[in-house]
Amino acid sequence: MSILSLQSVTKEYVGDGQPVRALDGVTLEVNAGEFVALVGRSGCGKSTLLNLAGAMDFPTSGAVLLDGVATSTLDDARLTVLRREKVGFIFQSFQLLHTLTVFENVELPLLLAGKSGARAAAENRLATVELTGLGDRLPHQLSGGQMQRVAIARALIHSPAVLLADEPTGNLDSTTSAVILQLLQRLTREKNTATIMATHSLEAAALADAVVRLRDGKVEEIIRR
Amino acid sequence: MPRFLLFYRLLVRPLLREPLRTALTVLAIALGVAVVLAIELAGGAATGSFRSSMETLAGDNDLEVVAAGGVPESVVGTLDQLPFPLRVVPRMEDYAVVTESKQTLPLIGLDLLAEGAAYTGPQALATLRGNKNDDPQKGLRDLADPLSVYVGASLKRKVGDPLPLLINDQLKTYTVRGVYPDGGGNESAIVMDLAAAQRALNRFARVDRVLIKLPGREQLPQWQARLRAALPAGLEVRPQGTGTTENRRMLQAFRWNLRLLSYISLVVGAFLIYNTISVSVVRRRGEIGIVRALGASRASVLAAFIGEAATFGFIGALLGLPFGRVMASGAVKLMAITVEALYVSSRPGSIALSLSSVVLAFAIGVGVSIISAYAPAREAAQVSPVEAMARGRREYDVRVHKGRDLLIAVLLAVAAEVASYAPPVAGKPLFGYLAAFLLIASSAFAIPAFVDGVSRISAGALQRTLGVEALLASRSLRASLRRTSVLVGALSTAIAMMTSVGIMVGSFRQTVLLWMGDQLPADLYLRPAGDPAADRHPTISPDLAAAIAHLPGVAAIDRLRAYEITYDGLPATLASSDLQILRAYKNSDFFSGRPTEQVLHDLRGANAVVVSEPFTYKHHVRIGDRLQLSLGETQASFRIVDIYYDYSSERGNIIMDRNTMLKYLPDETPSNLAVYVAPGASVDAVRAEIVQAAAGRRILIFSNRNLRGEAIRIFDRTFAITYALEAVAIVVAVMGVAGALLALVIDRRRELGLLRFLGSSKQQIRKLILVEAALLGLLANVAGVLLGFAMSLVLIFVINKQSFGWTIRFHWPVAISLGALTGVYLATVVAGLYPAQVAVRLNPLEVVHDE
Amino acid sequence: MSRRRGAAGRSLVCAIGLLSLAFSGLPQDANHGAASAFETALPGYRYEFPRDYFNHQGYQTEWWYYTGNVTAKDGHRFGFELTFFRQGVERDPAKDKTWDVQDIYLAHLALSDLDGGKFYHTERLNRRGPGIAGASQSLQRVWNGNWKVQWSGDDEQLQAIDAQFALLLNLHPEKPPVIQGENGVSQKAAGDGHASHYISLTRLATTGELNLHGKKYEVTGLAWMDHEFFTTQLDAAQFGWDWLSIQLADHTELMLYHFRRKDGAIDPFSAGTYIDAQGRTTHLRSTDFTLQPSGETWRSPETAAVYPVAWQISIPQLALTLEANTPLPSQELTGQSKLAPSYWEGAITLAGQRGGKQISGVGYLELTGYDHPVQLP
Repeated sequence: MSILSLQSVTKEYVGDGQPVRALDGVTLEVNAGEFVALVGRSGCGKSTLLNLAGAMDFPTSGAVLLDGVATSTLDDARLTVLRREKVGFIFQSFQLLHTLTVFENVELPLLLAGKSGARAAAENRLATVELTGLGDRLPHQLSGGQMQRVAIARALIHSPAVLLADEPTGNLDSTTSAVILQLLQRLTREKNTATIMATHSLEAAALADAVVRLRDGKVEEIIRR
Repeated sequence: MPRFLLFYRLLVRPLLREPLRTALTVLAIALGVAVVLAIELAGGAATGSFRSSMETLAGDNDLEVVAAGGVPESVVGTLDQLPFPLRVVPRMEDYAVVTESKQTLPLIGLDLLAEGAAYTGPQALATLRGNKNDDPQKGLRDLADPLSVYVGASLKRKVGDPLPLLINDQLKTYTVRGVYPDGGGNESAIVMDLAAAQRALNRFARVDRVLIKLPGREQLPQWQARLRAALPAGLEVRPQGTGTTENRRMLQAFRWNLRLLSYISLVVGAFLIYNTISVSVVRRRGEIGIVRALGASRASVLAAFIGEAATFGFIGALLGLPFGRVMASGAVKLMAITVEALYVSSRPGSIALSLSSVVLAFAIGVGVSIISAYAPAREAAQVSPVEAMARGRREYDVRVHKGRDLLIAVLLAVAAEVASYAPPVAGKPLFGYLAAFLLIASSAFAIPAFVDGVSRISAGALQRTLGVEALLASRSLRASLRRTSVLVGALSTAIAMMTSVGIMVGSFRQTVLLWMGDQLPADLYLRPAGDPAADRHPTISPDLAAAIAHLPGVAAIDRLRAYEITYDGLPATLASSDLQILRAYKNSDFFSGRPTEQVLHDLRGANAVVVSEPFTYKHHVRIGDRLQLSLGETQASFRIVDIYYDYSSERGNIIMDRNTMLKYLPDETPSNLAVYVAPGASVDAVRAEIVQAAAGRRILIFSNRNLRGEAIRIFDRTFAITYALEAVAIVVAVMGVAGALLALVIDRRRELGLLRFLGSSKQQIRKLILVEAALLGLLANVAGVLLGFAMSLVLIFVINKQSFGWTIRFHWPVAISLGALTGVYLATVVAGLYPAQVAVRLNPLEVVHDE
Repeated sequence: MSRRRGAAGRSLVCAIGLLSLAFSGLPQDANHGAASAFETALPGYRYEFPRDYFNHQGYQTEWWYYTGNVTAKDGHRFGFELTFFRQGVERDPAKDKTWDVQDIYLAHLALSDLDGGKFYHTERLNRRGPGIAGASQSLQRVWNGNWKVQWSGDDEQLQAIDAQFALLLNLHPEKPPVIQGENGVSQKAAGDGHASHYISLTRLATTGELNLHGKKYEVTGLAWMDHEFFTTQLDAAQFGWDWLSIQLADHTELMLYHFRRKDGAIDPFSAGTYIDAQGRTTHLRSTDFTLQPSGETWRSPETAAVYPVAWQISIPQLALTLEANTPLPSQELTGQSKLAPSYWEGAITLAGQRGGKQISGVGYLELTGYDHPVQLP
C-alpha cells in the first residue's frame, strides 16, 4: 500500500476574482522508500501538489491519503498532528530560523510536537547529514549547502513517512546540489521515506525513482525507472 | 513631482497597506500631542491667566493698601481727605457658599453709594444699583438692607430672588437686589454694600483692601512712597493686583511641573516614532538600495524618511488638537482642585484654543517626530546601492553596540547623580529635571544590554517552563534587539514614570499620615462648613467658641486663627494657636530636635514664631532669623525660634502664640477649634453637645479620625491629575506595543508560516506572539521599576524638595505599585491579542514557498 | 424788614437733587413714622455761632453753599461753586456701625473760567463712613473727601481738589451772618414746618489760589455762603425757580428769588433780602420787586433746556434797577450719575442805577426746572 496517495485531486484558488485551477485531476501513488521527482514549468502546480501532500491544504475535490488517512476528513488541529508525525518539509531557501542555533533549528519540529529526546535525535540527524559538531553554530555561520543539510536534518528529525522538498537545490551551486541530491536519495532509502522533490533540474530528476511531469495542473506523464 | 512620487510609492503606499499599524503610530503621536496640549490649555485656564477672584469688580486702579488682618477703616477717611485727586475704593473681600449649588464665590463688599456716584467705573458697577427707571426710593432701601446682595448674571438669578448663602458659620437667606454682567475679568461674585458685608462677616473696624486710582500712572513709586508716608507703618501700599502677580508666580512652578510631566507622554511617543521609522527603514533596505542604484541621492532618501515621520507628526497633531481640547476640559477641573487645595482660591477661566496652541501642537507633533526619526532616516540614507543586490540578508539590522551603549548609560547615570546635587535655579529644580531626563536617557542606552542579557540568561528557563514558543519568542526579541529595545524603552519610561510618581505620592501620603499622627492631638476639630482652600480662612462665631469651651466634658479648646498675608512678595498663612493648651497636649517634631515644651515656652507671649518647612525654602530663613511682619497697622519683628514639618499646604506658614497675635490683631474670632475632651468623658457625648450648642450655625465637626480621612481625601484629590497623566502615558506605550507587535508579526510572517510547516498549531503561533508580548512587558516592567525607583529618589529628594520644600520620607507603596504594574503587564499582553490573531490568520502557503 | 416770610430757592435745588438721586424720599415714604425722627424748622429758633455754622443732625436736610467771583492778578476772571449737602436717611439706633448710611453726603463743585469760556463741574456722593464726609464743630470742618471748609476763628479755608482743577481759598467775612426770613425761619410754602433755618455770609473777602490744568492763578474776589437746615415738603405747584445773589460795589448785597408756578404765575412765597453796608437786613416780599428775563437765552446742547441767562431787576423801594448778564452762558450742572436734574448755576455781572447813580456788582444766578418740571413728592 502506498504511503501517499492522491486520487483525482483538483485544487482551485481564487486569484484576482477568477478561479484558478492549480491542479486538475491528479492521481499519484508514492510508496515508502520511493524518491519521486516533480518537474514542470513554474506555475504548473508543483508547490500546490506539495502543500496538499504535506497536509498543509485540502483538495477542492478528490482525496489525499497520507498513510491511509484522508486529509479532508481532519480539522486543523488533527491536520497539525498528522503533519507533525508524518511529514517533513525542505525548501529552496532553506528556511532556517536565524535566531536559533543549528541544534535548535533541527529540534524545532519535535519541540513543537512536545516530544522529548529532541537533542539526542538532533545529534543523530546531524550525524546523518554529516554535520556533527556544528550544532551550536548559528545559520549565518554556515555555507548554503550546510544550511540545506541542516534543513534536511530538521525535516527528518521526527522520522516522517513523507519528505517533501521544494526545489532543494535551487539556491545551490552544482557541486553542492549534487551532494544534497545524493544525500536525499540515500536518506530515502535508509529511512524508508516517500520523498517527493519538486525541481527544475534534469540532473536532479535523473536521480529519482520516478519522474512526474506536470503541465497546467495535470499529470502529463509519469516515468518510472 | 518626481520626488513626491518617489515619496508616495516608497513610503506612503506601504503605510496605507498597513492601516492599523499606521493608525496606531499616528494615534500615539496624537495622544502625546493631546496630553501636552491639554495640560497647556488647562494650565492656561487654571493658572496661566490666573486672576485672583478678588479682582472681580476691582476696576482699573493703580495702587492697593493691604495689611495682615485687614486695613483699619480710618485709613479710608485719611486717604479720602488727602489733597490729591485720588479715587479711594475700600473693599471687604471674603467668600460665601451658595448652598444650593455648593459653589464657593467671592464675597465682595463695596461702598455702593460712593461707587455708584463717584465714577461710573466698570460698566458692571453702574448696573449694580439698577437703572434710572427704577423706583428712586428703592435703591437706598435695598442698600440699607443687610440682607441685600447683588450678583453676577452667570448665577442666573433675577432681582427679587431669594439666595441662601453660607458665610462663615452662618446660613442666611439673602435677596438679590441687582444683577451685573459678569465675564470680561469680572467673575460671578456676591456683592454687598460695605455695611451689609461687615455685618454678614461679623468683621467691623477693618476693610480687607483699599484700592486707589491715581491721577496718572507715571511716578508710581513716588505715589507709593507719598501714600505710605501718610499711613500707619504696618500697611503695605503696592500696585493693584500684586496679589494676583504673586499668586501667578507661585502657580508658575506648579504649572511648570505639570507641563514637564505631560512631556513624558511625548517622550514615549517619540520612542514609538523612532521604532516605526526604524522598521520602515529596515523593511525597505532593498527598495532603498534599488532607488539609490537608480540614482536617488542620500539627501532625498533622508528627506523621504524624515517626510514620513513629519507626515505622522502632522496627522497626529491634527488629531491631537481636538483630543487635547477635550482632555483639557477634564484636566482643567482636576487642576483647579489642586490649585484650590494647595495654593489659592480661583476659578479656572475658559479654555482658549488659540493660534499659539495650534502652532504648539504642530510644532510638537512634527518636531518630535522628525527628531526621533532622524537617526533611522540617516541610517536609510547610508544604505548603499549594492544592498539592493544582496540576498538572504537578515530582516532586522542588528547593528547595536551594546558595549558602547552600556558605557554611555553609565556615564549618563553618573551625570544624573551629579545633577541631582545641584541647587535649584530661580526656585525651579532645573537640575532635578535634568537628572530625571539623564536617567531616562541612561536607561534607554542600557536597555539593549539589559534585554540581551536577560533574554540570553532566561531563554533556557523560559523554554523549560513555557515551552518552545518561549524559546522562539525570546530569541526573536533578542535578535531584533534594537526594535525590542526601543519598545522596552518606551514602555519602561511610561512605567518608570508611573512607578516614580507612585512612589513619590505614596511616600508623601505615608509621610502625611505619620505627620498627622503628631499634629492632631485633639479629639474633635471644628471648622465652618464649605469647601476648604489654602487661602480661605472662614471663621466660627466667638460666642459659639465660648459656649463650647464651657460644655461639660470639654477639657480645653484651642482657638486657631489664620490670616492670609504676604511675606516678601509671596502669599503665606499667618496663624495663631493657644500655646497654653497646646503645651499640655501637643507632641510635634521640630527641626532643632528640641522638646516641644521648650519651643512652646520660647513662643509664649513673645514676638517669636515657628515657621513651616516650605516657608524656609521659599524665603531662605533659618532658626534665629527675624521676620518683619505687618500686622494690621503695626510692623513688628519676630524671631524664628524653630521650624516645623508641615504638609498641609505648599504655601509657607507662620505660627505664633494666640496672645501675641491678639496684641496686634485684636480679633477673637477663631478659624478653627480644636476640642480636647476631658479624661473620662465620652467623645461622642461631647460631640452631641457641640452639635446642640451650634444649632443654627453651619460648622463641621471632625473626630480625630474623620479629620485624617478628610485630609487624605483632599490629598488624593490633589494628585488626581498626576494619575491621569500617567495613565495617558501608559496608554500611549501600550498602543505602541500593540503597533510594534503587529509590525513584528508582519515582518516575521515567513517564519511564522514556516513554523506551521514544521508542525506548529495555530494555538502555538498565538502563544508565541503572546509570550513575546508578555516578555516585552516583563522586560519593560523590570527596567521601568528600576528606572522608576531611581527617578522617585530624584522626585522626592531633589525635585519635590526644591519646588515645594517638603521633607518626605521614602516609602514604597508596595500593594499599589504591584497592582499598577500588574495592570500594565496585563495591558501589554492584551495588546498582543490582536497581533496574535493576525499571526494565526496568516496563510503559511503564501509566505513560505519561493514562487 | 418785611412781614412776609422768606423762602430759600437753594434748598429746593438741593432737595430735588437728592430726591432724584433716589434717596431723600426714604424716611418720609418708606417710614412715615420716621419723619417725626427729624425736627422741622419752626419760628423762634435761637441762633448761636459758631455752633450753627456746623451740623444739625436733628434736621433731615442741611447744606453749605459757597459761590464766588474771583479775579487773577492778570485780570482773568473765574466763578466757583462748592456745595456740601447732608441728607438724613435713617435714625435707627441699631444702625450704628461705621458704614451704616445714617446720612448721605452729596457735594457739587464747579469752576467757571469766565474769560476762558469754559465750565467745569463735578459731584461726589458719600456716606459719613470712617471720616469720609461730615460736618463737625469739634473739627471746625465741613467736608466731603478732600473737598472741605476748615474754619479758624471767623475765617474759612476752602479746599477742593479735582483731577482738572483745584481751589484753595481763604474767606474772610466782612459782615456778620444774616439770618434770612422772619423770626428765624425762611418760609417756603403754606403750613407750619414748611420752612428752613437759613444763614448767609453775604460778603466774604476771598484770597487764594486756584489751579486749572496745572496752571496756578493767584486770585482775589468776593464769595457768598448760604447754610440752611430743615425737614420739609414743598408745594406741588412750585415747578421751578430763579434765584440770585448780588454783591454790589457800594458794599450792599441783595438776595432774590421767585418760584414759577404751573399756571405761569409767580408764587406769593417768592422773596428776597437786602443787606445794607452796615449789615442791616430788609426782607423783600414778592410784591416788593420784579424779576424778569431780558431776552437772552442759552440752549443746553446736553439737556436741550433753554435758560434765560439775562435778567432785569427792579426794586422800587430801594430806587434800584439792575441788569444781570453772564460772561459765560454755559454754566449748567448736569448730574454725572444721570439721575440728578440739571440746573444752571453761574457767575453773573450786574450793572444798573440806584437813585440815578450808576452802580455795578457781581453775583450768582440759579435757574431750575428748565429741562423738565421739578418733580416733588
